[in-house]
Order: sequence, then structure tokens, then C-alpha cells
Amino acid sequence: MGLLGFLSQWRTNAKIGSLEKALQGRPTPQLYLQLADAHKEAGNSSKAAQVLKLGAARFPSAPEIIRRQAEAEKIEREAEKKRLIEKIQSHPNPILYARLAELYKADNEIDKTIDICQKGVKAFPKYGGTYLVLGQIYVEKKQWQQASGELEKSVELDKYNYLALKLLAQVYMELGRPADAAQRLEDILYFAPGDEAILELLKKAKEQAGQPVETKPREEARASKGNTRILKLAEKKPAQNQRDKALNDGVVSLRQVPGVTGAILVDQYGLVVAADLDSSLDEGLAGALITNIYRTTSANSVKLNVGAFEEGLVEGDNGNIHIVQVDEMILAVFAKADVKMGMLEKSIRDFAGAVVQS
Amino acid sequence: MREILGKLNKVNGIRGSMVVNRDGIVVASDFSVDADEAGMGAVTSSILAALDGALKRINMGKFTRFIITGSENKIAVISAGQAVLLVLLQTDVNMGLVNVEIKEAAEAVRANSKM
Repeated sequence: MGLLGFLSQWRTNAKIGSLEKALQGRPTPQLYLQLADAHKEAGNSSKAAQVLKLGAARFPSAPEIIRRQAEAEKIEREAEKKRLIEKIQSHPNPILYARLAELYKADNEIDKTIDICQKGVKAFPKYGGTYLVLGQIYVEKKQWQQASGELEKSVELDKYNYLALKLLAQVYMELGRPADAAQRLEDILYFAPGDEAILELLKKAKEQAGQPVETKPREEARASKGNTRILKLAEKKPAQNQRDKALNDGVVSLRQVPGVTGAILVDQYGLVVAADLDSSLDEGLAGALITNIYRTTSANSVKLNVGAFEEGLVEGDNGNIHIVQVDEMILAVFAKADVKMGMLEKSIRDFAGAVVQS
Repeated sequence: MREILGKLNKVNGIRGSMVVNRDGIVVASDFSVDADEAGMGAVTSSILAALDGALKRINMGKFTRFIITGSENKIAVISAGQAVLLVLLQTDVNMGLVNVEIKEAAEAVRANSKM
């Protein structure tokens, strides 16, 4: 880099620093736009997109920031689609199909979405996430019967899937089955107690079903226990799933840290990708509880003034839970209260680094 | 409550703090940055519901503290009896150095919330 290039980079970095400082004091849409431009100027498009996303979350009625964020997201989606298509060809796994389908859905490419889902279901019929995306498509098309069929398959494979259960309850309401909707909503309250949106829907469902309005969650969800580990799903194709083996090995290695009692990795749909937990703990339930904490926190992180969620540490009387976002998945590590934090944080960072590089 | 928060906010790395009740209603707040206190209170109530349910089912006992690290700041949500203390921190703050002050403030809030 020549002297001029160095000076230009120095100026851009100084500008970024000063804009970040100004944003921490009194944020405005204009400051977010200027910061995004500065990151773009510095050649960091993903950081620019992240800044626009935060700005849009904080100022949802500012038209320019919303327009720019939509543009940035579209560009990111196209790059991600390309990456996923290549990855499906080289190292297929069910999450890749569901993620690709979701990207096509976001761009309203419905035929392509259905096509990818069907290919995903054919290759990995025991993964609930793909049925969920298909269910979402049929809900958008108001094809309630088809939607209920796909969502029931999704829930059958993963009894603790918040999105699938909620959507299925809404579909049952459309089909005039409020009692079934109420049962599904009560299932959600088992792992998401106090969820206001669910309590509201449950009240409506019970009123329509002519049942007394009480909101006590049932002690156990009814659907059969799903087997959601990628390794198990893809056991017929071990050679194609080195990454999944690496994820499982990584989770198992985290448990070797003194004081760690278990670790679990869940995908964006709340489905368990890899887990090594105490035998007393149901991995599906643990995944649902962690996803619920993550969803509630990350959806509200801008309101809490922290920006985009990166990690969380939950402390209870008898232990703590470390929650970290890792390459569109959520890693949770359960530990005793006296765990050596430095050692654990280093192990989590090493694991996250290995996942991102793989 | 404002005295407790004022003292806490003098600690290096702390950007502000507030006390909310378990329903998310703001009891007192003191921030040096722009903050939507009512929104933060409401969100805290939802997060507490998720945390209480999870800790109970995973047998980890009662909720004591939740620290969230984001791209712009950190926030610590601390159980303080019938109330909850929220502390907004710089991301690069040394938690070891601020832990004592946060714990003292939470104890003071707990004592005050009993009155």
C-alpha cells in the first residue's frame, strides 16, 4: 500500500471511530447511513450491512435507511445463495437446503423455494426445518390443508419447534380447529412460559373452542421425540458430512473443560445440530429453551441499547449458561458456577473459529 | 434509587443504569446516553420470563444475572429481590473491575425494594 492509500485508510478509520462515538451518544438515521458508507468505503460491505440493519431496527420509519438496508440485504442474499448452492453440491446437509429455500422465499421466488424444499425433503426426510419452510409457503398461499400437513410433519420430527408449533396453531384456527390450536399453543408454553404472543393466541383459541381460559402449560409436549442430530440424519452418507462430525466433536470437546456439564448447538429453526448433555436433560427441550432465550434477547437487543446480539451469559444459583451465536447457529454451554471462565471462553472462541472456517 | 444509580454510574465503563420491577415497569433510571427506558423495561420482563422458565427446567436454580454482549454495548440484568437492576456498559469494560460495584448496587436496590 502506498502513502496515499495508507492516508486514505487512516482517514476512513478515523471517520468510522468518530461516527461510532457519535452514535453511542445520540443516534440518528443520518449517522447510521454515514457509518455504513464509511464501512463500505473501507471495503467492509458486511459491516456496512450490519450497521444498516441496526439503523433500520432503531428507526423503522426512516425511509432512506430502510431502502438502503433492503438493497444491502438483497446483495447479501444473492452471495449467500451462490455459496449455499456450491456447498450443497460438495457437502450436503439438511440445514443448507432449508436455508437456501428461505433465501428464495425472501425474494418471493416461490417455485424455486418449493423445488429446493422438495429436494431437501427427498435427501433428508427426517429434518423438520425443511417441512417448516414448505409450511410457511403454503400459509402465505392460504393453502391451509397443505400447510397443516407440512407443519404436522415438522412438529412430529421436532416437538419443541416454536415456529412450527405457532404456525400450526394459526393454521388450525383457519381450519376451524381451535381446540387443536390450543393444544399446540400449550405445548409452546412448556418451553416458552410467559410468552405474551402465545398467551394471547391461546386465549383466543380457548374462547373459540368454548374452553375455560387458563394458561397453564402442559407438563409435557405430546408429539413423539424427534431425532434431530445431523449425524444421525445423514448416517448413510458419512463421507459427505465431515463438517457435521467436526461440530459434534467440537461440542464433545467443550465438555472436557473442567466445570462444563454439557453443550448444545442448535440451528436457526431451533433444531438440535449437535449435543453432549447430561443424560437427565432432554436435548430437544434444552434446544427449545435456549432458542427461546436467544430469540427473545436477539429480537430486542437494539431496544436494550446493545446493538446486534453477540453473546450472553445466564447465571443461576446452581450454574450458568453461555450462549454464543456461531455462523447462524446458537451454541449453549452449561457449566457449574465455579467453572474457570477464562478457560471456557477460550474453548468457546476456538470452537466458534473452527466452525466459521470449516 | 436514583442515588444508588448515580453512584454506580460514576464507575468507569458504565453508561447508565435503571431499576425496573418484575413486570417491566420503570422504577428509576439514569443514563448518559439516549435510551428508551420504557421499552427497555418491557423487554426485560419478557427476557426474565424466558430465563426463569429455562433455569427451572434445566435445574440451575433461581435466576441471578444475565449479561448480554452486543455490537455496541453490554448490558447486565441483575436480580435484586422484587426488582431488577439493569446496567449498560461499554463492550470493552473489564467485568472483573465493575462486578463489585454492580453487586453492591444490586444489594442496595434489593434492600430498598423491600420497603
